[in-house]
Order: sequence, then structure tokens, then C-alpha cells
Amino acid sequence: MTMRSHWSDMRSPALAIAWEFGRRHRWGFAALAGYSLLLGMTDLLIVAGPAASMDPSWDLVEITPRFAAKVVVPVSIFTYYFLAVFSFGLTGDLAARQSMYPARLFTLPVTTDALAGWPMLYGAATLAGLFMAATRFAVWPSGVDIPLVWPALFVAATLAWTQALMWLSYGLPGLRVIVTVLWLATIDAVVFTALERKVSESVMIAALAPQVPLAYLCARFAVARARRGDVPDWRPAFARLARLAALLPQGRDRFPSAARAQSWFEWRVHGKSLPGWVGVLLPFELVFLFVAGNETPSLVAYTLCGVLLTPPLVAAFAAPRVRKSSPQLSDGYAITPFTATRPLTSAVLIAAKLQMAMWSTLATWLLVLVAIPSALTLSGTWTVVIERVRELSDAIGPPRTAVIGLLAVSGLVVWTWKQLVQSLYVGLSGREWLIRLSTGLTLTVLIFIEPIIAWVRASDAVRVALWNAMPWILAGLVCAKVSAASWIAARLQSSRLLSDRALVTGAASWVVVVLALYALFGWLVSGPLIPRYFLLLLAILAVPLARLSAAPLALAWNRHR
Amino acid sequence: MSEPVISVSELSRRFGDKTALASVSLSMPRGAVYGLVGANGAGKTTLIRHILGLLRAESGSVRVFGLDPVADPVAVLSRIGYLSEENDLPGWMRVDELIRYTGAFYPAWDDGYAEELRHKFDLDPSAKIQNLSKGQKARAGLLIALAYRPELLVLDEPSSGLDPIVRRDILGAVIRTIAHEGRTVLFSSHLLDEVEQVADHVTMIHQGKIVLSAPLDEIKRSHRVGERVPTLDEIFVAQVGMPAADSSLRSE
Repeated sequence: MTMRSHWSDMRSPALAIAWEFGRRHRWGFAALAGYSLLLGMTDLLIVAGPAASMDPSWDLVEITPRFAAKVVVPVSIFTYYFLAVFSFGLTGDLAARQSMYPARLFTLPVTTDALAGWPMLYGAATLAGLFMAATRFAVWPSGVDIPLVWPALFVAATLAWTQALMWLSYGLPGLRVIVTVLWLATIDAVVFTALERKVSESVMIAALAPQVPLAYLCARFAVARARRGDVPDWRPAFARLARLAALLPQGRDRFPSAARAQSWFEWRVHGKSLPGWVGVLLPFELVFLFVAGNETPSLVAYTLCGVLLTPPLVAAFAAPRVRKSSPQLSDGYAITPFTATRPLTSAVLIAAKLQMAMWSTLATWLLVLVAIPSALTLSGTWTVVIERVRELSDAIGPPRTAVIGLLAVSGLVVWTWKQLVQSLYVGLSGREWLIRLSTGLTLTVLIFIEPIIAWVRASDAVRVALWNAMPWILAGLVCAKVSAASWIAARLQSSRLLSDRALVTGAASWVVVVLALYALFGWLVSGPLIPRYFLLLLAILAVPLARLSAAPLALAWNRHR
Repeated sequence: MSEPVISVSELSRRFGDKTALASVSLSMPRGAVYGLVGANGAGKTTLIRHILGLLRAESGSVRVFGLDPVADPVAVLSRIGYLSEENDLPGWMRVDELIRYTGAFYPAWDDGYAEELRHKFDLDPSAKIQNLSKGQKARAGLLIALAYRPELLVLDEPSSGLDPIVRRDILGAVIRTIAHEGRTVLFSSHLLDEVEQVADHVTMIHQGKIVLSAPLDEIKRSHRVGERVPTLDEIFVAQVGMPAADSSLRSE
């Protein structure tokens, strides 16, 4: 029997639910399969195995950057993705009071047990399998013995509770986010405390095993309640507060311009995603500062690095959503008639997205820059950071220390914004083949970059050749960038998407930013080893131009098909 | 004679193997109600999407107010009120936010008129769009299409699946629009009795081709059998061979 006829003969609800997950998220599953396959092949062919360089006394804390880049980061990404997939979090409204379980499934002639149970079973099996396979693969062929069962149970329990809490109906809008964060943070804290106290594996298993059935009972209750349309409403209890809030200025006046109205629209649709996700992740990361024994300078530095890298990394994952014209459309990238018929140019529509991305980035960094000092103060690890800053200041002087600090933060802020907007042109084109091609290329680069770096690091001859060829490589990249930008500028001008004045102003601003960055680089790394033209090439490559200016063209291509 | 509001010349469009429009030509002078009738899938929405500039002409040309809607979307769209068949208003917006947001795009937006329409359509300003019924959503869409008194009102299958009360509101909107001198309405539907009530001019489209386009009175006169004046439905059957409301099902 062929696969097609097998599916077409599908008679079981369990198979039908599995088929929907598989069909709807086939690209995600294909990406996971492709990643695993390519990773395995590159490891077999290029490097001897990730564990070859690892110490046999490996434990959870001693994660090498190479191991992290290759296994921990991709597996974490797939874990977050599957948490969203199996809890139906990609299609629902996280802030709504109503259950996020898809209402269309409630009318199926299927028991509530099956509706709650099958997605939970598939999700738990996928995540536990993913974790066990990744862990086994990560330590191969060293034979290092690391626990498998309790971590698999831990990820299954995390998924099961996420599903239960997503499918529950709540009395107040936004309560779902608070409850979920608090409950998952509690489970996390308990597990890390147990690890800290070197609790035995059997105790861990005994503590985690009941979590999945408990979560199932909660999920079953949630689905049953949602199925009969039961949604608690606690808003009347807060009506008095709402009346007080109504006295505050609400911005009920007309928008001063159409562009401002569009920026407001973009902010409401996409702006809160990045600060929201970073806000959810921050407590999980900063909790490491509070674990006894983690106050060593290296662990504090690792934690802070992780926190500081979170906004740009999360921005890379929020970007596909931002570049959709309507996040309600989970499958389609076509622009909705409502947006397409706004009497605005495609350039103004893009400008609103860029502005929203800027506000979203600033809100996220405000959150991070408030959370870090608060966590350092409360955990008593400020002194460690101050000591490190003092050492740096003694070595290079206070002005350079201050500038490097400011530059690092500004660089991270700009990088976050860039991550949000640099691939806008791909999604806004509305062409699925282009989006898939771009995703495929990105994944391929991610997979091959690590073995290539390992190969370069392993050979002195390769390093020297690469260093000698670097000016040519950079010059080639600059030529490609400038050529692409010139072609895009010509298309923008001929299609009248941007006026001549806007094009000239944009180009002049870009040149000014590049020169300013070049001057800054020159001041920071003045020395005979690095030639000036090298810094100029770096500055040209660092400031976004071609991909950003392609966004209005891509939107126009989508808007006028 | 004044310049036509919409001028379509030899417009063709294919989606893969399917011909959606085949050499369609059309001219709509100012100040009348045009009924665009045909079965589902006949090409009505494709034609309307070309008029709005959402589709680029593969061959032929489209001019609205004498302008190319793809090359100059701002000048064209700022003079059109559009109610989409898909009713894709953002579900997260409240009714008052929708009114405030839409008003920003049109200099001629009339807050007083918008408020009058909101009362007439019985829309709660604090209600979220996603919580409105299908009829209420259609009314909200109609409100934002009318409140700046557009020169051209384009209604794409506005009343399909709606109850008679909402359909009456929509027809009322058409009548209200043309009460203002010089304004034009393009109204697509497969419910021909509705079109018959308000249209001055009817264009019948079938399988991407215009099979008949003439003033309604002229169409009725030419299809008269003795003393009996046929309905638009009967005329459509005579032209196409099947009723507009059923032919889509048969073709599927």
C-alpha cells in the first residue's frame, strides 16, 4: 500500500490528528530531519565526532561553545518550535481569555480524552525522542554515560504543562501568559535545585514521571470546558479599575497622519512579540545568577552573555512573523486586501514596519537593561561585574572602557533591529518558493558553518591562506552588495516607489553612517596590523543597504500580483 | 462626455492553466450603479482586484479615474471605498479603533457621518471585530468604506451569506452613495434580484468573458417576451445557460 492510499484510507481519529500535525508543519519536520541528516554526515565526513574533544568528566555545566552551537542551540530552537506546534500556540491568541485549542476540532465526533490525549502524546514523544537522540548523538563516540530518562521526562512534562495551560480558558486577558511563565519557572527551579543538590536519577524520575498524567488531567479538563463554551469572566470585578483607567489619556484623537496610523497598526500587530518573548525567557536565564555556586566570574559572564544575546537571537525567530502581512494567516504570505488597499505607497508601508521594529527593539532592550541590574543586585553578583569592569578600565583606560561598553550595547540594539528587518524582503514578496529557498539556504549555512570553522581552526595553512585572501573576499562581498543595491535603486526609481529625493537622501545617510562607523573602528583598533581599507570594507558590510532597500520592491511585487 | 471612472481594455489574466479573464473591455461613466453579475469563479473578483491595483494586468490595460492603479495606488485608492468579499478586517481591533485608524488615510473622512453610520448599524464602539457576528462585520466594513464619501464605491459580493436586514443596509448604502451627485458604485453579486433592485447598468461575466453589458432597462426591453418582462435571473439563464447562483456548483 502506498503512503498516499494509506492516508486516504485514514479512518482513525488518532491518525487524522497525526496527519494534520505532519501536513501543517511538514517543513518544520523536514527541517529537523534535514538538519539531523546533514549534521550526522558532516560529522562523519569532516570531524571525528563532537565528543572527541570533550572531557570524559562532562556534565551539564561544561558545555563547550562548539557543542552549544552544534547541538544545544538547534535542539533548543526545535524544542521551542515543537512546544508552539503541539500546544497550537502558532495559531491562537496568547493573550485571549478563550482556550487556544482550535474550536474547529470540537465538532469532530471524537471524545475529549482523544482531543487532549493525542496531541499530548505526539508532542511528548517528539520532544522526548528529539532530546534522547540529540544527547546520544552529542556524546557519540566517546561512550560518556549521561542521564537520558529524566531529561526526556522533563521536556515531556514541560510540553504537557504548556499544552494544559494554553488550552485552559482564563478569567482575564493576558492571565495565560502570567500563569504559564510562573508555573514553568517553578518546575524549572525545582529541577535545577534538585540538580544542584545532586539528587539521584531515580528520585528525579519519581518526581517527574507523575507530571505528564497530571498535566493530561488538567488538559482534559481544559478541553472539556472549552468544548462546552465555558469561559470564566472576571472582568466585572475589575470594572472599577477599568473606569479609572478610562480617565487616563487614551489617544482617542485622530492620528496626525496616515503614516502614523500605519505605524500604530504595525505596533499593535507585531510590536509586542519580541519584548513579550524576551520577557518570558529572561527569568529562566537570570535564575542561574541565584543558584548557589554560580557567582564565579566565568559563570556570571556566561549568564550575562546569554542574556545579552537573547534579544538578537529571539529577533531572528520573531522576524518570520514580522514579515508576514497578517499573522492571523498561518499558511499564507499573501497580503490581505485590507492592508493592500490602504492608500499608501509600498515604501510608506515598509517605513511603518521599520519604525515598529525600532520601537519593539527599544522596548525589548529597556526590559533587558532593567532586568540585568535588578538580578545582579538581588543575587549579590554586582561586585563580580564591577571587578571585571575595573580590570578592563585599568588595562585600556576609562574613556575606551565607556566607549566599548556603549558601543557593545548599541551594537546589540542595532543587531536586534537588523535581525527583525533584514529579511523583510523575503516574506513580503509573498512567494512561498522564495521563502522556502531562503529558509533552506539559511539552514544549510547554519549546518555547514561549524564544520568549516573547525576545519579552519585545525589547520595553520588554511588560516594563513584565508587571512591573505581576506581583503579579496571582503572586496568581493562589498562589490556584490553595492551592485545589488544599485540594481535595487534603479528598480525603485523606475517603478516610482521612491522619489529621486528619497533615494539620494537614503544613499547619503548610508554613506554618513558607514563613514562614522569607519572612524569609530579606526579609533578603537588603531594599529599597524589591521590596514585602514580593511576597516572601511567591514564598515560597508556592517551597515544594512541592499536587503533593506529591497523590501519596498518585494512588497509591491506582492501587493500588485 | 466626461472621462470614464473605470476603463478596462482587452484585459486578460491567467492563473496557471485557468483563464480568469479573457480580453475583457469595459467602460464605466461617472454617476451610476453598475452591477457585475456572474457565478462564483466567473471572474468578478479578479476584475475588481485589477481595478483596485491588487493584480497587475498581464495584457491589456486598466485605468481608474484615468490613472493606472498599480503605478499610482495612492491617488486611486484614496478615492475608492471598498468592501471586500473576504471581510478581512483585523480581528484584534475594536470598532472605535477601526474607525480612528481608517479615518487617518482619508482627508475627506467625516467623523460625524461615521458616528451616524455607527449608530445606524448598531455597532458597539468597544466591541472587538473578532467578536462581531458576520453581519456586524459586514456593517463595520461598510461603515469604513462609506464614511469618507468615496467617489467610487466597490462592493465585492457584499451580501453573500448575510441575513436580509444586513443586505438591506448594504443596498441602502448603495442608494445613499449615489444620492451624492457624480458618485459611482460597482456592485458584484451572484444574487441577481439584489442587483436588479439598484443597478442602472448590468455587466454579465461568465468564464472570464463579458457575455452582456448594457443598461438594465435596455437589457429588459431587448429580452421582453410579449408583455412579460423577464427577471435578470431569467435573462442570465438565457445568456449563460444556467442560473448565476447555481452554475458555480455545477462547474465545481
